[in-house]
Amino acid sequence: MLRLAFPLVSHLPPRKPPPIRQRPPPARRYAASAATTSSTPSSPPPSHPPLPPSSAYVHLPFCRKRCHYCDFPIVALGSSSGTTPSRGEAADDPRIVDYVRLLLREVAATRPVSEDGVPLETVFFGGGTPSLVPPRLVAAVLDALRGRFGLSACPEVSIEMDPGTFDAARLRELVGVGVNRVSLGVQAFQEDLLRACGRAHGVKEVHEAVGIVTACEGLQNWSMDLISSLPNQTEEMWEESLRCTVDARPTHISVYDLQIEQGTKFGQMYTPGVFPLPSDTESANFYKIASKRLSEAGYNHYEISSYCKSGYECKHNLTYWQNRPFYAFGLGSASYINGVRYSRPRRMKEYAEWVQELEDGTWSHKSRSSDMKDMALDVVMLSLRTAWGLDLQSFSKSFGKSLALSLCNTFKPFVESGLVIAMDMERQALPHIDFELDLQNEGDFGSRVAFIRLSDPDGFLLSNELISLAFGIISP
Amino acid sequence: MAGAAVLRRSARGIARHIAAAPSLSRNALQQPERLLSSQASPEHGARGAVSGSELALYPPERVRNFSIIAHVDHGKSTLADRLLELTGTIQKGHGQPQYLDKLQVERERGITVKAQTATMFYRNTTASQDSDAPRYLLNLIDTPGHVDFSYEVSRSLAACQGALLVVDAAQGVQAQTIANFYLAFESNLSIIPVINKIDQPTADPDNVKDQLKRLFDIDPSEALLTSAKTGKGLEHVLPAVIERIPSPPGKCDSPVRMLLLDSYYDEYKGVICHVAVVDGALRKGDKIASAATGRAYEVLDVGIMHPELTPTGVLYTGQVGYVISGMRSTKEARIGDTLHQAKSIVEPLPGFKPAKHMVFSGLYPADGSDFEALSHAIEKLTCNDASVSVTKESSNALGMGFRCGFLGLLHMDVFHQRLEQEYGAQVISTIPTVPYIFEYGDGSKVQVENPAALASNPGKRITACWEPTVIATIIIPSEYVGPVIMLCSERRGEQLEYTFIDAQRAMLKYRLPLKEIIVDFYNELKGITSGYATFDYEDSEYEQSDLVKMDILLNGQPVDAMATIVHNQKAQRVGRELVEKLKKFIERQMFEITIQAAIGSKVIARETLSAMRKNVLAKCYGGDITRKKKLLEKQKEGKKRMKRVGSVDIPQEAFHELLKVSNSK
Repeated sequence: MLRLAFPLVSHLPPRKPPPIRQRPPPARRYAASAATTSSTPSSPPPSHPPLPPSSAYVHLPFCRKRCHYCDFPIVALGSSSGTTPSRGEAADDPRIVDYVRLLLREVAATRPVSEDGVPLETVFFGGGTPSLVPPRLVAAVLDALRGRFGLSACPEVSIEMDPGTFDAARLRELVGVGVNRVSLGVQAFQEDLLRACGRAHGVKEVHEAVGIVTACEGLQNWSMDLISSLPNQTEEMWEESLRCTVDARPTHISVYDLQIEQGTKFGQMYTPGVFPLPSDTESANFYKIASKRLSEAGYNHYEISSYCKSGYECKHNLTYWQNRPFYAFGLGSASYINGVRYSRPRRMKEYAEWVQELEDGTWSHKSRSSDMKDMALDVVMLSLRTAWGLDLQSFSKSFGKSLALSLCNTFKPFVESGLVIAMDMERQALPHIDFELDLQNEGDFGSRVAFIRLSDPDGFLLSNELISLAFGIISP
Repeated sequence: MAGAAVLRRSARGIARHIAAAPSLSRNALQQPERLLSSQASPEHGARGAVSGSELALYPPERVRNFSIIAHVDHGKSTLADRLLELTGTIQKGHGQPQYLDKLQVERERGITVKAQTATMFYRNTTASQDSDAPRYLLNLIDTPGHVDFSYEVSRSLAACQGALLVVDAAQGVQAQTIANFYLAFESNLSIIPVINKIDQPTADPDNVKDQLKRLFDIDPSEALLTSAKTGKGLEHVLPAVIERIPSPPGKCDSPVRMLLLDSYYDEYKGVICHVAVVDGALRKGDKIASAATGRAYEVLDVGIMHPELTPTGVLYTGQVGYVISGMRSTKEARIGDTLHQAKSIVEPLPGFKPAKHMVFSGLYPADGSDFEALSHAIEKLTCNDASVSVTKESSNALGMGFRCGFLGLLHMDVFHQRLEQEYGAQVISTIPTVPYIFEYGDGSKVQVENPAALASNPGKRITACWEPTVIATIIIPSEYVGPVIMLCSERRGEQLEYTFIDAQRAMLKYRLPLKEIIVDFYNELKGITSGYATFDYEDSEYEQSDLVKMDILLNGQPVDAMATIVHNQKAQRVGRELVEKLKKFIERQMFEITIQAAIGSKVIARETLSAMRKNVLAKCYGGDITRKKKLLEKQKEGKKRMKRVGSVDIPQEAFHELLKVSNSK
């Protein structure tokens, strides 16, 4: 079993092959021997398999305007740009062209971790609004990635697109250059809510966009983003949005609970839990409704904010949840290479200077390589976001049985109250009595319990609390 | 005159008061409008050295020791500043206002906590224009205005022969004026009434004179009228000190005997004692001994406060100054103790008493791991304030800490504030309590200084309990009499006296349980009287009372640090209030929390805090997990700062808020 061969993190169960034919994940990725990378100066602790990244995130920061909840590193172009889909003839916005040039330089200056050419399995164009970037420029980036790192035969290539920023021809073009997964930023199906969020599109554009995506040949895998707990959002509106989403039949749905971030327009206007934002109770209710409706419609709730039809997990995001390494390129993006997490500058000028340093070989990052404690925190934090949960056997192997036991002891009252689910090797839920029997001494520990996960929806809803409890055990 | 008679009786005890906390700025901005000609002898300039041979020029008849007493904010500190300037002891416009209040807490609150002395040299040129008029050595002994420190005040006053009784010309006699007057009166001091702040538009000195006459039988012609702010009338103050206050009565040829007024710990010099030499002379190199401890010391340094430490090598009979003698801790320097020539038998000076602790509270480090730091800070501070009693205790919620006994509520407040300001300690304190006495069926009695130490279900019957009481004096404009009587009866008060001190103002005297006034009585009194009430109290007897221990339980687990002892009739209401307060300050957790107040096994108040609904991780956008991780780390740290009982996390604020639970209504 692959998942047992990978000692650090839990994995999702073996997937049914998705409609786009893909090779199963190459076994060598998991079997990579320590010998091949032991010479790497910043090599992670020995228990961490020194995997070469097989995923790449590319940040395309352009938007027509900033949404009121957004605090990502973006570049607002103004309303003039991007509304007219180009086929390459129209003059590209020089800001986009300049940026892509910078991106290509970063790709070229990035040394592949593995010399023996482990190709990329996933590429994710995130933003920003990547659909504002002319397809031939997207193609240029993909070509550069292919040239530098290699692309597997059937990679997952995702791009985020906003309604109103593309037409059928532009989408066809993107698919033509290798994009095979679209993440459509719909957020809501109510005109008032879209306007209140500062979105650059209306409901009409949403329906048009859904039409274009579903009609596009060669594109079967697409996702829709929704946001719950928006100001003035009612339960009826939320039900309507979920209904419309299910009706559009995407293979994947992301449901985000609105976070009020400092420095955003919403941050100035609203206080979480206070009208017109929903109360915590209402907001929790929205989350529960989504879980219920989408499950009824045949979607798996495989991660706190992600749902998919069977086999359509976002492979790129799984890289994150499974604590596997990934490259990242572009403004403000975060990479995880050789056990080191690094976030690029969020300002364009500083990012450009950074790329220059990277090219000159004068940049050396100061962020230290993750130690065992950091690694354990990451594994717990990420795996508990997923329905698969934390694989106790591999966690014990990497970080010690007593730490795994302490974690389980901390979660004991919550296994009893139902916020946490303990499961055996066959992923059958254990009654809490059995779970507690297992914890009585370190010798017996693990004879029954093999996984723990947060329950859906109650445990997921309290994930911050539960995970920070675990943090208190790992890093007291 | 009936009022005066009553007051005189009440002043037998040691009066206490709770002072308001006026702002510093009020005094800080006051400057004399016109210059007063300095009458300082040029040879004793502000920073000039003073030799022992110069001190020899001041036999007792040329020495005056006096104090300034006043209700808070009536201008005591400003008047002291002016007198120091007038004699050239400090320079006008230099140094900080409230010169003698050296602690930050004293400046902020406008109160004096530690006694200070200042020696001034003064030639009285107003009586005769003769430049050969004799020079005097004047010692201003600044007493704590605070009557939590009434014992210290009485010791300071014991070193004086006279006092300036300062009364605000607009506010008139206030509760603290009365208490201070009687303290001075009982010490047989000559009292010089000073009606101050006569520059105010609302000043009514004639009315104040009437009050002084009526309450204290002071002849109106004795009153000096001054404005320490403008300088008006100040020229009459020091001549009056010389003329009306007798010189100290000591015997010059006896072995040295002196009164210890207060002490300080200095990191470099060790313990510095302020002393008044009663008999004989004290010289550097002398061997002295403490009457209280019997320990002997060698005088390493001796001098006067002029206004800072000024070595003179000697202090003569009647003079006041400092002595450094190698004491390691102020615990060796007990206020009111007699220091005398070693190896000679002397009669100790009267009035020495050990500190009496009336308010107790648990002090715990806000962060449990800072126990050592808190322990160190308390040790250092008690080095400077030996009147605090400290014993270790531990709590299920707060871990290791200390049970501290204080002279009174303000003393406790000041101690907290000094711990925080001077030692940077972050402290959680438990609900203050008073020393109760419980008697069991088997005749055994216990004194309870920590409610948690009293068994909730002792297994033997409590047959009687006693609590300390005070006699409170409250002065208010007559329209507020109704609400104040209400307040006092809510606080289980017993009215002893109700009189009018003039056409507008009434004086109420009540016996009140000490417990009822230690938390919020004064604030409430101020609130219902638009700030006009003044309040003072003195200790009285223990009285029998119907007391019960009330536990606070979280999910069935008692929180020892929240236990209180309350009067049976108030238990229901106090329990209700504590429980509601906790509901407000304990955050929702992943399970339901029941908050209960119980007496023994009987629950008298209950609230339920429903489980938290949602605390969900946001998207880890673009794989940037570091932000989310930081957020979770922060959340974890937040949990760490909480105090835990069973599985319930209690934020520190909850403990702070419990201190504010009212006792009335």
